[in-house]
Amino acid sequence: MFTSLDVLQTAMNMARHAGSRQAVTAANLANADTPGYRARSIAPFSEIYETSSAESLRRTRPGHLGVDTGAAKATAEFSDSEPAPNGNSVSIEQEMLNAVEIQREHNRALTIYKHSLEVLRLSLGRR
Amino acid sequence: MTDFSNAMSIAASGMKAQATRLRHVSENIANADTPGYRRKTVTFEEVVDAGRTSGLVETGRVRLDRTDLEQIHDPSHPLADANGNYHGSNVNMLIEIADAREAQRSYEANLKLFDQVRRMSSSLMEILRK
Repeated sequence: MFTSLDVLQTAMNMARHAGSRQAVTAANLANADTPGYRARSIAPFSEIYETSSAESLRRTRPGHLGVDTGAAKATAEFSDSEPAPNGNSVSIEQEMLNAVEIQREHNRALTIYKHSLEVLRLSLGRR
Repeated sequence: MTDFSNAMSIAASGMKAQATRLRHVSENIANADTPGYRRKTVTFEEVVDAGRTSGLVETGRVRLDRTDLEQIHDPSHPLADANGNYHGSNVNMLIEIADAREAQRSYEANLKLFDQVRRMSSSLMEILRK
């Protein structure tokens, strides 16, 4: 009955999304001084979730027809900020801001996950 | 999990590259008064692994700055030519200090991110503890 809870699935997708976004941010920061490097970014989870949940069909079993929920297949795209004279378009301030936002997103996802587990435990009578 | 270790190794590569740059800056400053010394410049390149960009950064070949050496007039210097001039180094302290500051800033940014990723992954591990 509770083989795959939607809350847990979404929280896990959100945490995973935050992880891959953080990797892109790390790459941008590491290349903050590389000539010709263009900054990349992944869209926030809320945007991806909206587009994927609007189009995908709800499934009751994994074997049924439907579209995959798309948090994992987020692709990095070039963000269009004004490049420096050496062709580098990384802004350290923007990346720092992104990093903090991602960390908060990750924390939120983990808190939701933990809380849902707690609710399950409570309903099982173990505390 | 691979994303986290990926992010950590990328941040570490950034720190390593900035540290190399800082080392070359300190070599330049140490040799600011060496006659005939040309300042070293270091280039940053993105690592391309099997045709795909990996996000890692590495330092490329060290190049020498080709601007003219400073002419110093000092007839008593052992290296002075017939006119009493000799070539100093082309190290400009202002550029070196600015470069060092920039390297430090970038290093700190990478370090911050490394720490943040580490905290994120340890909070993920926290779930398993209960």
